[in-house]
Amino acid sequence: MRVTKGAKIIAGTVLLALGLAACGSGTSADGVAGADQPVRMKIGEPQKLFYPADSTEAEGAEVMGAIFAPLVKYDENKQVIDFVADSISSTDNKVWTIKIEPGFTWHNGEKLIAQNYVDAWNYAANQENAQGGNYFFARILGYDDLNPGEGKTPVTTEMKGLRVIDNETFRVTLSQPFSQFRTMLGYTVFYPLPKAAFGDDGKITEAYARQPIGQGYFKMDKPYNKGTDQTIELTRYEYFPEVKPKFKKLRFMIYTSAETAWNDLQGGTLDILEQLPPSAISTAKELGDRYIDQADAGVGYVGFPLMANKAYENPQIRQAISMAIDRKTITQTVFSGTRAPADDFINPLLDGYRPGACTACAYDPAQAKRLYDEAGGPKQLELASNMDGGHKEWIEAVANNLRSNLGIEVTVRPFEKLQQILDELDTKKYGGMYRMGWSIDYPSAENYLTPMFATGSIKTGSNFSGYSNTQFDELVAKGDTATSQEESLKYYQKADDLLLRDLPMIPIFFYRLNAAFSEHVRGVKINLINQVEWTTVERAA
Amino acid sequence: MSSAAPPKGAPPKTRRARHAKASGRGARTARPAGLWRDAWHDLRRRPLFTVSAVLIAVVLVMAAVPSLFTSVDPYDAAGCVLGDARQGPSAAHWFGTDNQGCDTYARTVYGARNSVLVGLGTTVLTALAGGLLGLVAGFRGGWLDAVLSRVTEVFFAIPSVLGALLILSIFRTGTVWTVTLALAVLAWPMTFRIMRASVITARGQDYVVAARGLGASAGRLMFRHILPNAIAPLIVVSTINLGVFIAAEAGLSFLGLGVQSPDITWGLMIADARARFHEAAGPLLFPAALLSVTVLAFIMLGDAVRDALDPKLR
Amino acid sequence: MGRYVIRRLLQVIPVLLGATFLIFSVVFALPGDPIASMAGDKRMPPHIVAELTERYHLDDPFLVQYWHYLSGLLQGDFGETFAGGGVSEIIAGKFQVSLNLALTALVMETVVGVGLGFYAALRRGRAQDTLVLAATLLLISVPTLVTGFVLQLLLGVELKRSTGIDFFPISGAFDGWRSYLLPGFVLAGTSIAYLTRLTRTTLAETLRADYVRTAVAKGLPRRRIVGRHALRNALIPVVTYLGADLGTLMGSAVITETIFNLPGLGQELFRSIYERQQPVVVGIVTLLVLVYVLANLVVDLLYAVLDPRIRYE
Repeated sequence: MRVTKGAKIIAGTVLLALGLAACGSGTSADGVAGADQPVRMKIGEPQKLFYPADSTEAEGAEVMGAIFAPLVKYDENKQVIDFVADSISSTDNKVWTIKIEPGFTWHNGEKLIAQNYVDAWNYAANQENAQGGNYFFARILGYDDLNPGEGKTPVTTEMKGLRVIDNETFRVTLSQPFSQFRTMLGYTVFYPLPKAAFGDDGKITEAYARQPIGQGYFKMDKPYNKGTDQTIELTRYEYFPEVKPKFKKLRFMIYTSAETAWNDLQGGTLDILEQLPPSAISTAKELGDRYIDQADAGVGYVGFPLMANKAYENPQIRQAISMAIDRKTITQTVFSGTRAPADDFINPLLDGYRPGACTACAYDPAQAKRLYDEAGGPKQLELASNMDGGHKEWIEAVANNLRSNLGIEVTVRPFEKLQQILDELDTKKYGGMYRMGWSIDYPSAENYLTPMFATGSIKTGSNFSGYSNTQFDELVAKGDTATSQEESLKYYQKADDLLLRDLPMIPIFFYRLNAAFSEHVRGVKINLINQVEWTTVERAA
Repeated sequence: MSSAAPPKGAPPKTRRARHAKASGRGARTARPAGLWRDAWHDLRRRPLFTVSAVLIAVVLVMAAVPSLFTSVDPYDAAGCVLGDARQGPSAAHWFGTDNQGCDTYARTVYGARNSVLVGLGTTVLTALAGGLLGLVAGFRGGWLDAVLSRVTEVFFAIPSVLGALLILSIFRTGTVWTVTLALAVLAWPMTFRIMRASVITARGQDYVVAARGLGASAGRLMFRHILPNAIAPLIVVSTINLGVFIAAEAGLSFLGLGVQSPDITWGLMIADARARFHEAAGPLLFPAALLSVTVLAFIMLGDAVRDALDPKLR
Repeated sequence: MGRYVIRRLLQVIPVLLGATFLIFSVVFALPGDPIASMAGDKRMPPHIVAELTERYHLDDPFLVQYWHYLSGLLQGDFGETFAGGGVSEIIAGKFQVSLNLALTALVMETVVGVGLGFYAALRRGRAQDTLVLAATLLLISVPTLVTGFVLQLLLGVELKRSTGIDFFPISGAFDGWRSYLLPGFVLAGTSIAYLTRLTRTTLAETLRADYVRTAVAKGLPRRRIVGRHALRNALIPVVTYLGADLGTLMGSAVITETIFNLPGLGQELFRSIYERQQPVVVGIVTLLVLVYVLANLVVDLLYAVLDPRIRYE
């Protein structure tokens, strides 16, 4: 935001008129840099209290990422490296032995032991605890015993697949081989829980969820009162055995508007803003090395109602629609370059991406029109979008593309939330195209395939289009069982090829991450799963 | 929205005003409907009235026949070229282009219809519903009045943003009609109170008592004797509210609850342009300016009408 | 007087019941499953959704749910959100913020609005009067959104960056009463305009009333006439307006609260409706209805102070 000199003069005059200039000398303590001043980062209000396996949204995950240390983390070269884990090994991708590095302690001083993982995971997988991250444990042997289904009570509280070997080692047996298991373990839901987390009834206590005791970089200063507290204060845990952060205090500040947070960052009362509002991008670019613009693992799609509507059955129609969309102009104009045109189902941030793999993603209006007419595509199409989260503009741009390039009528159907579109697709009340987005849970090419396109994900996952292809399922399964990452990737790419041929959804754009930080800090880096790398951050004196 | 309410519970002044004037003007007020004729006579000479009336006339024509003002049809997608988005004013696009590359001028002109429709529709609905209920409640009194008054209290106490949100969420999509209905549901208690208060004052007047004594029916008393003498405050408030409702629609659009595209309203245009204001101010400023002018025009008209109907303050 | 207050308080009950019932039924009718929505763009396993649905009685018929809620409310329990956590706790903190904000706005309205109206009324028809009227029109027609952003940028960000004066916090409620100055003014904007016009009109009117003329004829000093006789009477509609405004200021400040990042009831309400958190929505509304009714009661009692002719029995 540029403010002219005239505006400054007006501001000054207004202030004088209010007669407040004299009182303005007091500088609030937070504005001054100092060694013990906290690093302040913007978050949105966490949806829930801090139950690791229940927080599947980014805000809670960011806070817990500072309090807990994951088994593995992701380095700058997109590689998975052991963090709390000393080794994670398997010969058949089915039975995994996890050894934890000695020296980690909980913030209450207790030693971190293998049992802490087993307890946490058994708790998370039990349907009675209704944890949002429940389905992440579905690959572990014995998950079904803890999830007998609606209205039934599990007969046990432990999964057969989890076994403690000794204080530092435990063994995980999966029901099917899964080569990406190690990669998954960096996600929030796989954090361990200390004994202190559980009450007499075996449930996580509310007191714990307010002030979780972790084993990570920071410990929480006081219990979090959700709804009342505007900040979450953390202090560095001095007994952390690995490289510690270079600053002592961390403060998460809760905002509802990114624009307000941006104003605070400019005014120096906020240090890190992870996702800039679109209106701030042009100004933020002038921040130089305090502006971060990097690839993000998210993908935006337009989905087809393959189950709900026969009109989209012919893949040629879907191909024509895809070719009629001018991805380049949309990403440049509507998003001002904060998105990149999509040309694969796998995001460029991850291994497995092949540039230009999606030939139907290239803009070719003439060919699109020819294909569409040849296939006898419907004269009227519907395109649904949830109107929160800034989706409206690009959906309208896509609709305009289809209107003018295919010569058809396109009605944009606004919904309040994506869930409502899904409900109406399920009940066949709505039978048109819809907007869809995906952000990864763990950085693996597989995460773009199974959850959205596998037959098994129609009921429980996010396969909203209802795509079902046994060949695809088999290829993914082969990738899951392959013994090396290279081999897995080869199968995943073959599965990807099927998607590119069948186009159950069409990828429109890849997200980018646009962050900024204040002059009070340096060395801010954001990792693959969009969390700040706290060890490199420094306070600028 | 509800802060637009005139003083809740302020006593109506029109009756007294009329008496004051009657004594001052002599013969001319002896004619029937003298108040209205007088007011009209008075209005015509006010510059405030002339200015606002001309402005309103222009906006109304714009709403009725937008093609008089522009040859571009903004509802035709072919006219929007995404590559030309957010251009400054030029010969081809007088007000520049918006985020989708559509012509801002044409959209602003075409937006008048829906915005005015929401304003007019809500005003008519609230005047009818609030006015009639207020008339009955004020005239009958008793338990009916008590119940209706409690009901309006419930409505007053519910924050208007919440109310609109709830109502519009039920309809799922905002159209001119659902938005109108939502605003009307929230605003009728206001007109109800004004009408009720002035009916209560009018009810006790000598001529009403006389008519009642002569055996006039309740309906005749209400519509023939009380209504014409109690309606002036309602008219004043309705005029002002028309502008306020147009602004309220814009507020709902900001929250994502107003009329939805492809329909065009000023509020929707402002909401859409807001995020990119720093790159292209035109798509926000032009509809906002027209909106502000329209709202102002109706408020000024309301002022003028009130002054004309209430000459005591001249 | 005491009986009057009791009768008025008793009348609160049907209003409160009506409001909660109305809101509860409307929220109930909203499309969308609050549990499933929590998962965002992803899907929760159906049996987990079922588990949570049962936990929060969401599959019960409407009246049963309402009864559950109401009986809890009678025991002072506002219920639990679907994400876990007590509603009372969420509301309590936000209520404080909203109250601070609304009171700041109310004070500004009273001081600026009544002051300007008073000033204009005494100079009716003169240039100053016209100027004040024009200013109010401007205040009414510029949306809150614009005043909010502009003031935050000018007095919050730019003033600090260009002069180093750090008086107005940019956002948040960390700096005590100073945090509420800018948002309070932004929130009070339209009300200031209305109050100015209201005070101006009523005061001008009372200045022509018979009893004021009598006072003038008696030879009382002008200051005493205006201050003691006219102003007191003219304040009745003003106080009425202020009383009704308190509730509105507390519940409908979403935009101001969002711009200035104040965790108040308006924002919470907005988000809770979006997330279909019925207990939170109904809880806040119940509270706002109470505020509204109590403020009106205070206003009614104030009438007697302002106009000795008014008596309560």
